[in-house]
Amino acid sequence: MSATVESSIKPSMAERRPSMAERRPSVQTGRRPSVIPHLAGIEDPVLPTIPDQCDVLICGTGLVESILAAALAWQGSNVLHVDSNPYYGDTSSTLTIEQIKAWCASVNRNTPGFQGFSKALLYIPRPDQLNSRDYSIDLTPRIMFVKSDLLSLLIKSRVYRYLEFQSISNFHTFENDSFGKMSSSKEEIFTDQSLSLATKRQLMKFMKFVLESESAQIAKDLEHYKSTPFTEFIKEKYKLTPAQINELCYTLGLSPTPNILTIEGVSRIRRYLSSFDVYGTFPVLYSKFGGPGELSQGFCRSAAVAGATYKLDSQLQSYDSNNKIATFTDGSKVKVTERLVCSPSQAPENAQNVPEKKYEVTRLITIVKKSCKEWFFEGESAAVVVFPPETLPSNNVYPVQVIIMGSGSGCCPQGQCIWYLSTVEKGEKARRDLEEALSKLEESILRESEDSGFDVELTDEDVVSRPDGSISVINSVKLGKSFKEFVPQEKLTYLFKLMFTQYTSVEPFGVVNENVFKKTLKEGTENSVDYQVLYSNMPSAEISYDGIVTEAKLLYSTIVGSDDDFFDVDFEDDEEDTLARNDSAIVDDDDEFKDEMDFEL
Amino acid sequence: MSNTLSTDFANVLGESAVGKSSIVHRFVKDSFTDSRESTIGAAFLTQTIQIDTNTTVKFEIWDTAGQERYRSLASMYYRNAQAALVVFDITQELSLDKAKYWIKELQKQANSDIVIALVGNKLDLEEERKISKDEAQAFANELGLMYAEVSAKTGENVKDCFRDIALKLPLEEKLSQQGQRRRRTVDLNQRPSTNEQQCAC
Repeated sequence: MSATVESSIKPSMAERRPSMAERRPSVQTGRRPSVIPHLAGIEDPVLPTIPDQCDVLICGTGLVESILAAALAWQGSNVLHVDSNPYYGDTSSTLTIEQIKAWCASVNRNTPGFQGFSKALLYIPRPDQLNSRDYSIDLTPRIMFVKSDLLSLLIKSRVYRYLEFQSISNFHTFENDSFGKMSSSKEEIFTDQSLSLATKRQLMKFMKFVLESESAQIAKDLEHYKSTPFTEFIKEKYKLTPAQINELCYTLGLSPTPNILTIEGVSRIRRYLSSFDVYGTFPVLYSKFGGPGELSQGFCRSAAVAGATYKLDSQLQSYDSNNKIATFTDGSKVKVTERLVCSPSQAPENAQNVPEKKYEVTRLITIVKKSCKEWFFEGESAAVVVFPPETLPSNNVYPVQVIIMGSGSGCCPQGQCIWYLSTVEKGEKARRDLEEALSKLEESILRESEDSGFDVELTDEDVVSRPDGSISVINSVKLGKSFKEFVPQEKLTYLFKLMFTQYTSVEPFGVVNENVFKKTLKEGTENSVDYQVLYSNMPSAEISYDGIVTEAKLLYSTIVGSDDDFFDVDFEDDEEDTLARNDSAIVDDDDEFKDEMDFEL
Repeated sequence: MSNTLSTDFANVLGESAVGKSSIVHRFVKDSFTDSRESTIGAAFLTQTIQIDTNTTVKFEIWDTAGQERYRSLASMYYRNAQAALVVFDITQELSLDKAKYWIKELQKQANSDIVIALVGNKLDLEEERKISKDEAQAFANELGLMYAEVSAKTGENVKDCFRDIALKLPLEEKLSQQGQRRRRTVDLNQRPSTNEQQCAC
């Protein structure tokens, strides 16, 4: 997924400012003194307004901008990072219920600071039942493959220390009105009773091929299929069934569209397979208490530690590119010696150079009164569900991707669950697809859950006469399926429902193109309030974090000249070396439970 | 009985120049060596104190990293906190009023069971005192906060203040909760258990 950046303008070492690492006392003196990190407050007097000068001004604290801010700050740039909202995260915020309410109102009023979103519909039937702060709702939820550039960066930058990560093992595919779990590992394929021996062999062959696809020979073979759709390629070459193709393409590959070429498909499945068994028998992680919004805060904190200045509640009004002066709506001004970077959502009013956003992502977020633990792998609190194309009554052209976050993710109270549905379909059709996927999810959880309304106190009405005259108490036993269907089904309680459309210039498969940035700088309208402003992109439709680091690096090299020293920080820590290497990276608070989880394959 | 070790995140808040960092310096540096430069990357300090023969509490104190300057602290900073020290300067008349802002923020953003201590610093400058102990104590009582007066400069009362906070933490409740919750987190400190060649197939 990563794009290499080739830039003709590489500054010499002499032109580069010394990075934070280079300026550290231990580098200069050759020994490591005991230095306590500076605690701002006593050393720095409070300034009444923002500083009057900075090297780089960044408007918007979304994840890409936050990584950029941290990379620049550690490289030695003097960064001023602002956001028009009173909270961090911008387009990738993690919000409470009250913040979501305000967000919707602002989106529908088209307020500056909320551009790039539209038509937000919010439904909260019993507002008094929701304690706003018990919820962490992601505007753009994402999951992280274990083998990914972002995870490497989190470790290298130490930002992971501010966060907690949990695993997702269950990837479900919706097919013929029910959810199946993909046989996605060698062990599962071997033990799956439903697969014929021939199919097992083909699946194994395909997975072996994918894992070796980086080798020169196979890469050469793949050249043949350069313009072949991926689904056609696996059908022809491996004779897999449509259901298996769906699972590979949309569930393991998490492809957001059916228009996927062989090379992309193979690399997406490799991403899944190679992430397996690194930290444990799961391919994906997510950060507890919220996704991209939490990560943004972590990177902002890292940037602040390296000296970046933070100010929320500051909206850019205009940029005077001749004098390099940025003006905020409160009248304060700052001289920007190098570059002004701005998120499209926080563009100044009357901006004329915001990159065109021709792709849509429609999102439906619901909170239901149900634990949904039936969908999770034992001990986990989240799952992924995919509705491949043409599996919904609306005959969906594009898949609907769903991230399920249970209460164990720290995002909602116990007994509740957040469902994040999204599609790259456009307009009303997208909303219809999402509504239908939602009702399928609802049917499924009512059918599968054991806690569906039976956890109430017994009353006379809970007693049912069987045809043979015997009396059965309905919540006394785990009910058989037919009996469950007999009992009038309780409707699923929705506590929260939010639908909105988000626009982006990143195409569904796209890795951000360097030209987007060059174009905004070279072809911008002169004499406009945002001439020479470098715009980042709105979040892509991708439900993993892939592409985020690439974009941050591209912005970085557009500003610095190359990405050679992007997060080139060595914390010289010996702490990690002293850590015992355990076989499992799973941490449990409960020892008994640990035994359960530490299974070996 | 084995020792129970619990990690508690503590925030130190307050306006600039009231001595937040000095208090932390004093608490951490006085008797503990974990103040290596390596913590720069993560920017938090740790200090462990023993509160009785069976219990030690490990404080993890987060640096505000200057983000409080424009009142732009991330919600993440509050969410982790189980205890908070809101520091004011007993020689600055307005600093107690300003402490109210941070108390309000904590009540808005932190856990409802957070232990908050209002801490008057610069006890060594008794002759320049502008805020009486009674006034501050009454204010703390009104809001249900702990109250302490310390001197980061001389070290007076600093350790006791942290010890009092540790004693107030609902440790037993927390431990049993942790057991029940069966939290399953992935520790990225652990290097991957298999090398890159091995994988799912």
